[in-house]
Amino acid sequence: MIVARQERSMPVSHATAWDHLPDGRPLHRWTLRNAAGAQVEISDLGGTLLSWQVPDRQGRLGEVLLGHATAQQYLDSNAYMGGIVGRWANRIRGGRFRLDGIDYRVDRNDGGNHLHGGTDGFHRQRWDVESDDGGLLLRLVSPEGDGGFPGEVRVELRVRLDDDGALDLRYAATSDAPTPLSLTAHPYFNLNDRRPDIRDHVIRIDADAFLAIDAGAIPVGRQEVAGSAFDFREAAPIGSRLHWPDPQLRLVGGFDHCYVPRGEAGAGPRVVAVVTEPSSGRRLTVETDRPGLQFYSGQKLTGQPGRHGDMYGPFAGFALETQAFPDQVNGPDAEGAILRPGTVWRQHTRYRIDTAG
Amino acid sequence: MTNPHRIALLFNANKVYDRQVIAGIGHYLNSTRVEWDLFMEEDFRSRMRDIHQFKGDGVIADFDDPEAPEALRDLPIPVVAVGGSYHDPSAYPAGVPYIATDNARLVRLAYDHLIEQGLGRFAFYGLPPNPGSRWAQEREQAFRAIVEAEAVEATVYEGSPTSAGGWGEAVEELVAWLTALPKPIGIIATTDARARQILQACVIGDIPVPEQVAIVGIDNDPMAQLLTRIPLTSVIQGAEEMGRTAAHLLHQMLRGVDCSGTRVLVPPVGINVQVSSRYHPVRSPHVMRASHYIRQYGCLGIKTEQVADYVGVSRTVLEEHFKRELKQTVHQVILKHKLDAACDLIANSDTPLADIALRCGFTSLQYMYAVFRREYDCTPRQYLDLHRTAGAT
Repeated sequence: MIVARQERSMPVSHATAWDHLPDGRPLHRWTLRNAAGAQVEISDLGGTLLSWQVPDRQGRLGEVLLGHATAQQYLDSNAYMGGIVGRWANRIRGGRFRLDGIDYRVDRNDGGNHLHGGTDGFHRQRWDVESDDGGLLLRLVSPEGDGGFPGEVRVELRVRLDDDGALDLRYAATSDAPTPLSLTAHPYFNLNDRRPDIRDHVIRIDADAFLAIDAGAIPVGRQEVAGSAFDFREAAPIGSRLHWPDPQLRLVGGFDHCYVPRGEAGAGPRVVAVVTEPSSGRRLTVETDRPGLQFYSGQKLTGQPGRHGDMYGPFAGFALETQAFPDQVNGPDAEGAILRPGTVWRQHTRYRIDTAG
Repeated sequence: MTNPHRIALLFNANKVYDRQVIAGIGHYLNSTRVEWDLFMEEDFRSRMRDIHQFKGDGVIADFDDPEAPEALRDLPIPVVAVGGSYHDPSAYPAGVPYIATDNARLVRLAYDHLIEQGLGRFAFYGLPPNPGSRWAQEREQAFRAIVEAEAVEATVYEGSPTSAGGWGEAVEELVAWLTALPKPIGIIATTDARARQILQACVIGDIPVPEQVAIVGIDNDPMAQLLTRIPLTSVIQGAEEMGRTAAHLLHQMLRGVDCSGTRVLVPPVGINVQVSSRYHPVRSPHVMRASHYIRQYGCLGIKTEQVADYVGVSRTVLEEHFKRELKQTVHQVILKHKLDAACDLIANSDTPLADIALRCGFTSLQYMYAVFRREYDCTPRQYLDLHRTAGAT
């Protein structure tokens, strides 16, 4: 047998068999590499980011994403682990909205509210994946009525792993009927692969305001971060902020709130958050052109299965989801969240990981 | 609010950690519309004793000061305590919100860093027990707990208190302790001041740092950096965040919120990795000794001959060893040392370029320009424009 020599200059991936869907259809994973030796694995199941290995301060590769072991665990999980979330990232109050005079009811899968595309959201569907210009092109057709949403939506997601350490995600979507649309990647990060707890991570979020929520995690109003536990304009450790006496934190046992980053949405990616991990020296920078940034500190990850038969505990990982505002379809800027035929919905988000000091 | 609250800050503002806590309080006030009249005494100890005369609305105080809990116990106004964490929960003062630097996490970060460098033996250089520095015992206890849990070879040395009188003797003892340690070894010092003493003792005892002894301090104190010839790796405490947290809690208490049971432990926010811990297993003792010499005297215009003399081998032998281990000539390593030192001064000081050239062992400013152009394809001036941080002190 002839084994193909690995080409250093070719970051592109090849498909390898990974697992199966319950109906027996095969699943695959692709690997992207960059010049720094980092590598990302992506599955056609949910467009899921299965793994991302990045050098630390010493140049040692280590895993920075949480992940499950099997396809079945991804299908059973309610953590949206590493998946691409659609049609609607985050929540819609009561699973109801009105669009062009028509009332719609979509899947209610989160205590009476809609969450992350519903029961069979994009993260549980099988995407078409092919190599594309040094990266990957992922495609999904979401049929009319998917999760209760109108219109047939076609999504293209281009994924690259750049040599500067950025995982570059460019989304484009069209629809044959008006529909709400907000997509996000849902990776859980832990930049220190030697400690299953992210509370020592130090986070900066470039936002002057966040959306305060009710007990159902639906936004009730915009609130200035100044003088509160939510003010991360100066970098601060996540863990110690969890002990600030703040009713918004007590409501959901930590951070699970949408920030309103500075800068104009839709005008190209701007830096919205930077997270450093002192022990490994790794640093994550999030850039996006989306209006909202959901910060979830991972308090409810308890019991989620890990890759090696282990179970994650609370605060095992954190998520930074780039998206429209939660329940925006029922707010004053509902139209800003609607994709209409003849237009293309786009998003550009970069998760860049390097080492600082 | 018409009359701003009058708040007393009881800290020893001579220390970098306390100053950062105070800076954090300032950041919090600047980020909000909160206006406080802040009272700070030149002699904060007298303020601590006379605090009952203070006609104010609240106090944020350094509870590492052993007098603080007693002096502030019956104060009728809100008090927020700032200090070190304790492994024994009963050691915290009762009924006062307490913002702590997490001593266990500070030591853990230093220890994990040394592990990552590939070290397998560890020591802790602490302080003798003293009511004013209970945090040092907490850090020592944290170290003992880690090495016991991980069953690694480790030693603890508390040394003598730092005092001018007995200093000569103390250094001799420290050198003797360092000399007797199995090597290579990673040492965690309870503060940068203590780490600096180890660096000095290693020079006296002719012990190569970091090849034989790798050192991590705690505080990231610019003063300690300034006074060491070998740049010191140091854990950065979350002191500013402690200040912000303390200000937030006092702010809440002034609005009537009960925070008496609140305890916030703030982990370190980073580690400044410098030469003192960059341990690479080096096989050739000649290279090790030569590197040690270059790190100390590289900026004094030394040449390959002098390094070879110090090591006690011929130039040719030394060059062979350098080529094998480092893939560089001795001259290249000296030059790299000078360039690193120059870049550091350019980026982090206000020193004029001509002075930097001389201080880093370049024979002239022109020569430094030539070397920069050749090695970095830019001039020192361009490097300065790119890297010098605004307002560097």
